[in-house]
Amino acid sequence: MSIIKKIVTFKPGFNLRVIVGLISVVGFLSACAIVGLGDLSKALGAQDAKYTARSIEAGAKVYFEQCARCHGADGKGIDSQGPALNSIAFLGKTDAGREVQKSQRILDIGWVGNLDSYIRAVTTSGIPLKSSNQWEVIHPAFGQAVGGNLRDDQITDVSRFILNWAQNPATSGTIDSPKPGAAFVPKPTSAPLTPEQEAGKAVFLKNGCNACHAIKGVAQGNIGPNLSAIGTDAAAIITAADYKASQGKATTVEEFINESITAPGVYIAAKCPTGACPANVMPPNFKTTIPDADIKSLVAYLVSLK
Amino acid sequence: MAIIGKRLVNQVKTTGLKATVAQRADETFQRLTTGLSWDDVRGILRGDPPPKPNPRVKPHTEGFWFHIRPTFYHEATTTLYPTFRLGLLSALFFAIEIITGIYLMIFYTPSPERAYSSMIDIITNVPFGMFVRDLHRLGAEVMVVVVTLHMLRTFITGSYKKPRQFTWFTGVVLLIMTLGLSFSGYLLPWDQLAFWAVTIGTSMADAAPGVGPTVNLLLRGAPDIGAGGLLRFYLLHVVLLPFIGIVFLAVHYYKVVRWGISLPPEMEAVGEDSARKVSPDKRVNFLPDIATNEIMYIAIAMAILAISCATWYRAPLETHSNPLVTPNHTVAPWYFYWLQGLLKIPHIIPFLPADIANGIDKFFANVIGITPKVLWGIIVGPLVFVALAVVPYVDPNPSRRYGQRKIMLTIGGLFTALILYLSLAGIPTGVPITGFGFVGGAPSAEIGQEFMPDEGDGNLMRIPFDQMVVGDYQVTADANVANAPELNAIIKELYYDMQRRMNTADPNGRKLSADTVAQVKIAEIQPDLKQITLVINYTDDQTSAAQEFSKFKFIHRDSEH
Ligand code: HEC
Ligand code: HEC
Ligand code: HEM
Repeated sequence: MSIIKKIVTFKPGFNLRVIVGLISVVGFLSACAIVGLGDLSKALGAQDAKYTARSIEAGAKVYFEQCARCHGADGKGIDSQGPALNSIAFLGKTDAGREVQKSQRILDIGWVGNLDSYIRAVTTSGIPLKSSNQWEVIHPAFGQAVGGNLRDDQITDVSRFILNWAQNPATSGTIDSPKPGAAFVPKPTSAPLTPEQEAGKAVFLKNGCNACHAIKGVAQGNIGPNLSAIGTDAAAIITAADYKASQGKATTVEEFINESITAPGVYIAAKCPTGACPANVMPPNFKTTIPDADIKSLVAYLVSLK
Repeated sequence: MAIIGKRLVNQVKTTGLKATVAQRADETFQRLTTGLSWDDVRGILRGDPPPKPNPRVKPHTEGFWFHIRPTFYHEATTTLYPTFRLGLLSALFFAIEIITGIYLMIFYTPSPERAYSSMIDIITNVPFGMFVRDLHRLGAEVMVVVVTLHMLRTFITGSYKKPRQFTWFTGVVLLIMTLGLSFSGYLLPWDQLAFWAVTIGTSMADAAPGVGPTVNLLLRGAPDIGAGGLLRFYLLHVVLLPFIGIVFLAVHYYKVVRWGISLPPEMEAVGEDSARKVSPDKRVNFLPDIATNEIMYIAIAMAILAISCATWYRAPLETHSNPLVTPNHTVAPWYFYWLQGLLKIPHIIPFLPADIANGIDKFFANVIGITPKVLWGIIVGPLVFVALAVVPYVDPNPSRRYGQRKIMLTIGGLFTALILYLSLAGIPTGVPITGFGFVGGAPSAEIGQEFMPDEGDGNLMRIPFDQMVVGDYQVTADANVANAPELNAIIKELYYDMQRRMNTADPNGRKLSADTVAQVKIAEIQPDLKQITLVINYTDDQTSAAQEFSKFKFIHRDSEH
């Protein structure tokens, strides 16, 4: 009780006031001084770097949500969808923030600004015409001012993210934009379908496989796995450990695809467009509803997709 | 000019140069001190007793700044109790907010395009920018606490009673102003935190019957918060509310001068107010005693505030506001948690079965015709302030003595406890242990929210960059990645968090399935940029289907998380 009484009736003497007051003033001033000195080192970019870093993080998010589907998650470009954004031809090279090699692309197209302004310009306004018929798509305009869904700061972020590759740009395996005016020589695509495979494609469509599966240029279903390259994928699956552990018995690509259609339950594929593949969704009765001959051509068609 | 010069020359001629300079200097000095001569000031600084008649009261009659302070206090009010200096500190924080606020205004633009980037500019490029912003933000939060405590103390000491009813009333206006300033300031950084807290706040107004949509429209300037809303909140924050604050502060201060600070209740007869009838031997003059005392408290408060902002305190700034993405667990600022708690009534009434609570909800919605949200948030919420404002006018008890105010003190205590309880119930995780008011989602999503929240930082993001070793790691109790002790520690923490959620149900009765497994995946996607992904595979407790939860974040080497 007496302690409480001491506290509540506390009144500092004159000297105590002066001492405590002075100590506090010194404390206040030194806090300001610490901050002031810190601000001086800000000139060296410490603080800026932190915020650039946050901006790159935000840009990565934008990139993966908006750009990766055409430019590739690794930035190396996707055939016929979009050019590489991480290649040395596009970015040039920087070392510790300084440019050591110029962007060839900027020189080729004669852009007067720097690479950052080019990226932001393309991202904001899109490219109204295809610059080369190598591309199947026209560049979307992402800027909000022109009806897109990205704010200016997001566009700055994504540009910073792309430029962050310039420290270590990819030097091979990239799909680069062709030089302006260069004639487009299409790559030989996979061999034309044989009559049996054509028949298989028809079976595929007739039986509604396209409702659940995607095949590039043929079907857009997104419930089951994308079958655009099932010919190559299947080869990998049958050697994988999880397949061997399942009840699946296939040892060849043909057998695997046949099995997947006629007995979908024995092995559940791993990746579907919306996450892990669900069991019991692919209909189990194709073995009875599709004539054997049709299944044979269907398998032949799917095997050819590489 | 010529005349003044002539007079000066004449004075020098008649009294000599030295005396003239001394006389002129003293005249200027007295003008600055509003009436104190150099000798008077020296006497004050030396601690001499005041001469008679006391010149130290002159500034109170001559000058503006001293006339808003009492000339003398009763000895008994100069100790820590009864005021605890809380009124003084409230005023100090108001002043700090105004000064730091003006500095921030220089660099801030209230438009959706520029607001967020001006915040970034302030923290990165403006000298003392981050410091001043931290001072402004921390000062605002402390001010809410200090003002509330000041109100509590004037309530407890019964100082709102005759003749100080109106002082209390202006105080309530100042409280509303303080909360209003904090709330309107909350929107200005234009980040996710700001945007969604304010969207939630104003949508409550929208639900009010009749005027609600109009009020909402007035505040937001459009159906949704955008350029108009930001500008309106800005104007509220920098013009209207400070104006109201300054006017009411002036009245509040005038009342304090007029009636004096109330004596400790036990010192005066019941029903009597003796604060201004102080016998000379009990008087303590403002100059120098009260002034130096106050300066000391001000210095302490400023030092603590400045040192906090120079060291541990950082005002939060989340990602840019995005009307399309609602972050998980958006909350109002903490001093409005009690309002959020109100909105959850009747679901937070202890031990009320859920069926009955739902029944009450239905009853209000169908029979009375207003939803509980409207009832509690819009009608009861503001009523709290009305109730506060009328306290002195409805309390019939003339006595200020604690022993004779048992009813009022009990009501006050219960009210405080209720506000604290509602505040706890208002946070998304609800009241600890009992979990009343819990609004979490599926257990897997809660893990994601805990370790990688949508906004702000979680432990998975705080792993030092060099310890984010690229690879896929199963979440186990014996994670053992070489050279990455913190990564291992957090994987273990995750593991035990999962175990806890498997063994104990959350307040909604949901458990994490026993077969749950999780993975932490770290990939380097660019120089100095990593992606950290949390994947949780579990069996859904409601549908018994196998589910995968996954969430990722990008982490750059230089960003401090
Ligand atoms: C629908 C597919 C698609 C999307 C989505 C897409 N791009 Fe593109 N992008 C392209 C194509 C196609 C080109 C080449 C267009 C041309 O040259 O006509 C291109 C070109 C570019 C270029 C110029 C490259 C060069 O070599 O000149 C930049 C920069 C760019 N995109 C940035 C982005 C960013 C940033 C995003 C995400 C915000 C994005 N793109 C999203 C398809 C896309
Ligand atoms: C109702 C949706 C649906 C329909 C219709 C459907 N599938 Fe599937 N399919 C799935 C799902 C889901 C999976 C993955 C689960 C599994 O492996 O059983 C799958 C798996 C497959 C696989 C294995 C893929 C892999 O990567 O392992 C093949 C091959 C396949 N389907 C072919 C077909 C064919 C051919 C048809 C038409 C005759 C068809 N599907 C019709 C949903 C469907
Ligand atoms: C910005 C907010 C406020 C400021 C700056 C402020 C300032 C002050 C000051 C300096 C005093 C002198 C006594 C003391 O220091 O305790 C005082 C007294 C008083 N205040 Fe406040 N106040 C504020 C808010 C409030 C609130 C919210 C209430 C109550 C609802 C309130 C009610 C009172 C009362 C009743 C007194 C008289 C106390 C007495 O005479 O003992 N004030 N105020």
